Amino acid sequence: MTLRRRLLDWSLAAVLVILPALVLRASMARGTPSGLDTALLRITAPLEAGVSWVVEGIGGVWSRYVALVDVEDENRELRADNESLRKQLAVMTRRAFDISALEDLAVVKHQNPVDTVGARVIGAPLSPQLRVLRLRLDRGEGEVLPEQAVITSAGPVGRIGTVFGPYADVRLLSDPDSTIDVVLPRTGGIGKLKGLGRPDTYACWIRWLDRSATADTKVQVGDEVVTSGVHGDFPAGLLAGKISKILRDDGMFQEVEVEPTVDPSRVRAVMVLLAPRPPADPDAKVKKHSEPAFGGRPL
Amino acid sequence: MRSASLVLAAYIMCVIVAASWRMFGGVLHDAVPDLGALTAAYLGLTARRDVAPAVGASVVLGYLIDLISGAPPGLSALVLALTGLVARAVQQRIFVRGKVMTMAFSAFVALVAWVIAFVVRVLYHASRADLVLELRHAALVIVATALAGNLVWRVFRRIDAAFARTARERDAALEGLAP
Repeated sequence: MTLRRRLLDWSLAAVLVILPALVLRASMARGTPSGLDTALLRITAPLEAGVSWVVEGIGGVWSRYVALVDVEDENRELRADNESLRKQLAVMTRRAFDISALEDLAVVKHQNPVDTVGARVIGAPLSPQLRVLRLRLDRGEGEVLPEQAVITSAGPVGRIGTVFGPYADVRLLSDPDSTIDVVLPRTGGIGKLKGLGRPDTYACWIRWLDRSATADTKVQVGDEVVTSGVHGDFPAGLLAGKISKILRDDGMFQEVEVEPTVDPSRVRAVMVLLAPRPPADPDAKVKKHSEPAFGGRPL
Repeated sequence: MRSASLVLAAYIMCVIVAASWRMFGGVLHDAVPDLGALTAAYLGLTARRDVAPAVGASVVLGYLIDLISGAPPGLSALVLALTGLVARAVQQRIFVRGKVMTMAFSAFVALVAWVIAFVVRVLYHASRADLVLELRHAALVIVATALAGNLVWRVFRRIDAAFARTARERDAALEGLAP
């Protein structure tokens, strides 16, 4: 190798070292890629994208179907986490449900300015013959008496049956012994809502529903039934249910089936109205004769 | 043609490494083999009489690596050009043959490339990490480069063998003997 050629070779090498140094200086000063950089990136980017796609595909197959070493442990951990989270969710759901029930009670309390006692439901109705809901009273032990009205924000639930300490049984609307005075706001018809005591539903019925002669005052399926407030046990205007079936129509009275608005199986908290039912008139069964108006008996 | 083939092969390997290494987690994520330095060292080590083609090929590869990695254009090119020159200087003094020697030389090359890159970044005020982090990263890269050295150079030797003009040259290239 001649000296001249060696000099040329090393000079060229020096130029090739200086060139990237200058390019680096220029790129550091500029801060953005040059036109050549951009053009080369455009050319090389598809190759990079293709290689990346292939590598990702292989990596995906590897991690999903081959490298499953820790999957069992991970599954166990995830299952434990899942179980723990489900328990937490159940607790939170129950708490939210309780809060919702308490909010309902607050609404009821606001709507009924009578003295009330809140109570939690601790037992659901199990016997079809005795439609009873068992309550634990929050307070008012000794104040809660039989026949007092029990309501929720959705409507009437029933009446207190027996009271034992801080507990009480509620005779539901669907109990055959239950009776509530109701009115149909659309027709103005009045009647007594009684329980049917069916084993499969909480349905009630109105046997002697007063009906007018005109067709438009005839009750229809879907008509609302509200408490009339007669006797003062239940406040007037509580939505008790809706007519679900017309059983009989004899021209003067109608017999209808009513689906209560309150589903006792879902009730968690109730309000007991401490205004007792008025005592029965002791002279109710004694025949009374009107006094003569002017000293003599009417003919 | 030989240098262009080596650069192309190295570039494809760099692209594969760039695409695949991000899938690794933990320590492996940072332990990226310095394929550019390995290529520049191979080019310098196997340079025949002229050094300029080896430096030129290193510069081209470095420039392509800059484009892949998002580094300032010219940084890797300059580092690889200098690394190639260091390898060329070493060629006269040591004989790189056998797996252990190749691994050791690969580690040395990675160390040289890191030192040059660090100096260049300091001189050009390019971005740098905390020194401890830089050293940790350098250690990982050196180990990864040492481990990858044999495989990469085997590929390069195959390419060299394909360009051999005689059977003797071909055997020499496969053996890893400098031409």
